[in-house]
Amino acid sequence: MTTFLLVLKIIAIVLVVFFVLTFTVYFFNLDMKLTAAIEPWLLKHYDKIDRDQHL
Amino acid sequence: MKDLRHLIFFENLLLEANNELVQKAQADSKVCVAYTCENVPEPLINLEGCFSARLRAPRTGSLDISTYYMTSFLCEYSRALLERAIEGGFNFADCMITPDGCSMMNRCVENMELLKTLGSGKEKFFFEYMEIPMKADDNGLNLYVVQCRNHILKPLNEKYGIDISDAAIRKAVEDHNRICRLIRAIGEFKKEEKPRITGYEFAVITLATYVAPKYLLIDKLEETLEEIKTREPDEKSKFRARVLVAGSEIDDTDFIKLVEDCGAYVCADRFCYGSLPGRNPIELNDKEDALTQVCRAYMNRGECPRFMNTHKMDHRREYVDQLAKEYKADGIIYEQMKFCDPWAYEKMMGSTILRDKYGYPVLAVDRPYSIGTSGQMQTRVQAFVESIEIKKIQRGGENG
Amino acid sequence: MAKQIGADRLGDFYKEGSRVRKRREWRGFRDTMYDYSRWLWIMMTLGKFVMKPRNVKAMFRYRWMANYLAVPMMVDRHTQGLRGEYLRICHTEQDLVIKDVANLLDSLFRGDRRIGNDKKFSDKVVLVDENEMTAVMMGFPDLKVLSRETPSTYVSVLLNQRAACHYIDVAQEFGLAGDVCPMPEAEAGVSIDDDAPILGACAIQCNTTCDGSLLGNGVISQRLEKENGIPVFQLAAPLRHREDDVQDYAAQEIRNAIAFVEKHTGHKWNWDAYFECAKRVNYFTKCRQEWLEMNRTPYPQVFGSNLALYTETNYMAICGRIPAFEKADAKITKLARQAYAKKKMAAKEYRHRAIVWGVQSHYYMDFLVWLLNCWGIVPLTDMLSMVSTKELVTEDTPENREQAIYDMAWLTENMIMRNRTHGGYKVLLDELWEFVEMFNADMVILWEHMSCKALDGMHGMFEEKARERGIPLVWVSHDLFDPRIISRQGVRDQINSFMRTVMQEEPIDPSLEVLPDDQSW
Repeated sequence: MTTFLLVLKIIAIVLVVFFVLTFTVYFFNLDMKLTAAIEPWLLKHYDKIDRDQHL
Repeated sequence: MKDLRHLIFFENLLLEANNELVQKAQADSKVCVAYTCENVPEPLINLEGCFSARLRAPRTGSLDISTYYMTSFLCEYSRALLERAIEGGFNFADCMITPDGCSMMNRCVENMELLKTLGSGKEKFFFEYMEIPMKADDNGLNLYVVQCRNHILKPLNEKYGIDISDAAIRKAVEDHNRICRLIRAIGEFKKEEKPRITGYEFAVITLATYVAPKYLLIDKLEETLEEIKTREPDEKSKFRARVLVAGSEIDDTDFIKLVEDCGAYVCADRFCYGSLPGRNPIELNDKEDALTQVCRAYMNRGECPRFMNTHKMDHRREYVDQLAKEYKADGIIYEQMKFCDPWAYEKMMGSTILRDKYGYPVLAVDRPYSIGTSGQMQTRVQAFVESIEIKKIQRGGENG
Repeated sequence: MAKQIGADRLGDFYKEGSRVRKRREWRGFRDTMYDYSRWLWIMMTLGKFVMKPRNVKAMFRYRWMANYLAVPMMVDRHTQGLRGEYLRICHTEQDLVIKDVANLLDSLFRGDRRIGNDKKFSDKVVLVDENEMTAVMMGFPDLKVLSRETPSTYVSVLLNQRAACHYIDVAQEFGLAGDVCPMPEAEAGVSIDDDAPILGACAIQCNTTCDGSLLGNGVISQRLEKENGIPVFQLAAPLRHREDDVQDYAAQEIRNAIAFVEKHTGHKWNWDAYFECAKRVNYFTKCRQEWLEMNRTPYPQVFGSNLALYTETNYMAICGRIPAFEKADAKITKLARQAYAKKKMAAKEYRHRAIVWGVQSHYYMDFLVWLLNCWGIVPLTDMLSMVSTKELVTEDTPENREQAIYDMAWLTENMIMRNRTHGGYKVLLDELWEFVEMFNADMVILWEHMSCKALDGMHGMFEEKARERGIPLVWVSHDLFDPRIISRQGVRDQINSFMRTVMQEEPIDPSLEVLPDDQSW
């Protein structure tokens, strides 16, 4: 029983932590802020790729 | 070279859309069919009792009103035509037949219709819009035939009583071919090393055959051909290179003049209003009806970039190569009228492919409807001529 | 931070010089939790997508893939200020479009010779244009219908306003004039830049919306056919699509296209599958008509950019081929009916009822949301949503099989945008005023896509007709894919000036009048 409760408690904690973390990311737009920081790096990478540019 | 006897006569025909011969033909009770696009088969609008006049707006000045109606993003040809129509310059036409060749031309004619700029006082006046094929195949041919029947022959017959029988079409093709053969014969002289006719003169003569009733031109064309046969070319040519001009609509002979004044002889005219392929005769057989054969000829030879199938696209560049060889061109000028979508793409493709795949020196330019004596264009053509000369010298050096 | 519609100053979420907004909206507990749950779903969809190594590889190969970093933000832009049923309708549409695009990308990379190189899969792929009606593929259930241009340019610009700039520049470097429509120009640029996936048994191109689009295809087919060895069929749909004497030609083009696909894929046309798709197309038409019917009343429900974007996707790209869209149609209709019964409004104040005409600015697709929130102008419907309402035959009989060919031809002729930009002035000019009357509109917002020659060519006549009818007409100029010509603020300023000077009005939400979103995605 206690194990079951413990598992429930862990699941609840995980869910709460998951919610708090993801909701924080969601609400403060952290996902977009992160990807905005990645973009310039990616664009530099694309510039370095050799391309067979022609019609 | 001695001036051509009838050059001024031909030049005068180009000064007004409603020129001397158009007026004469109308006085002979002939119906004037106005049109704007090379995809309208000319013999069908030159049946007995009618004649064609391909619209131009010579001596175009301000485009203010047409720019209001169509904005400054449409090509100047379409705007110049609308402006002239609003001014009443095309009121002589008895009907207007146009295909949806390109969006801009379509809108131009639609504006003419909506603004009631044509047909004033002409009860039988009509506008007809045609669908024309975008591919050269059997399905396209069927469409072409149906469209020509419904939007050219039927209204001409119903409104003006024009004979649209097979025999009448065959007669019109014969008359058309007579003009074409004369132009081709004159054009042959452009292949000579020391040509007896300039590109400008040829452009004037060819253009006249589009804008004036053909049957009234025959004698002058025949006399001109005879004159050229015995014409002595200049001992020392003013030209430093031979160029083929390919591209969109040119009804401004000043453009050809400008190119030639810069030292480039325009040996071949692969543009809309030019003679290649527009003045190639249409050969008919007796096995099939004439209408189908005329449509097939127009569909198969059409070099307009609106043809979208791969074979046609490739053929456009192959044809330019073939002409360049035939007319011994040293280089190619690809031109497009500013804001022309179809030729914007074809100019890019054609100029790149002709340069990279076929090895020609190529100049790609865009231009306004009326070029006048544009300094910018002169500079570009002069530089192109010099580059051809340098290449010739280098090649000569390589060959020892 | 409020539950009530219009309680927030939406402009305050923007930050000068930033790609992204400061934070997401608080829409009240229920709506925020709903929006959060949809965000989680989107993150999971993206997560699943990047779990596959080939998709990661593609991310590092194709420049346009960087735009997909901005997927959640695109949804945020379209849900701005929305609550209740409107929010749910928007998510139902957007989320399904996202899922569909994720599947499209996954399939493209699976067959791509550079990435997944699954030859067997690639042999089942038929490539189509971005702006092409896929009606001709309704009877090929076992083939994959993929568009390379949809993810590389079309969706990319929805995600990131500058997505096409690089490709436009590439095309111009090769000599293409800068005055052509930037959409086919960018698509040609992708091909020239060697940045398109290579796959497929064959391809069908179509003379879609304009001369530029037609010619742009010529650039793409050059590489596709001659270099990659993928045969291309050019489907030529008639331009004067309302004329009876072009329909036989259009039908024969469809027959030829089907024969081409059969030849190059070895798959046979399946009439059962076709009629199933036709039923779904009819169902979507019925739903769309119901939404439009609601929009004629004082309580419009499905309107604005959501209507336009969803119609474009469902009507043209899906064309009854994917059952999930039928479920979405039903769900949206149910939500719309609920909201309509409760006389709900999407903004706190409706001041004007507008018909939006012309080709919208693609880099500012959420402009219609702004129009509603800032000025209370309700975009009742738009040109791209006013497509065919013709009912397709759905019963399999010999006569209907023949009619079905004509139905497919009709749909192809009447693909989005094309049904108005081609076909003569009646479909573009005259029908606008019929819609103004039908929807009881008091204003016309007329997009002037500056390089769209078919629309520009009617500029003066639009003004004259508006003057005759006494309907205020606002021109909104833009360059479709290129915000460097007219920025988003430049677009807004045209409305702002008109509303302040001509209409003598003040904005509902002044914080939205000037937004620092020049650097934004």
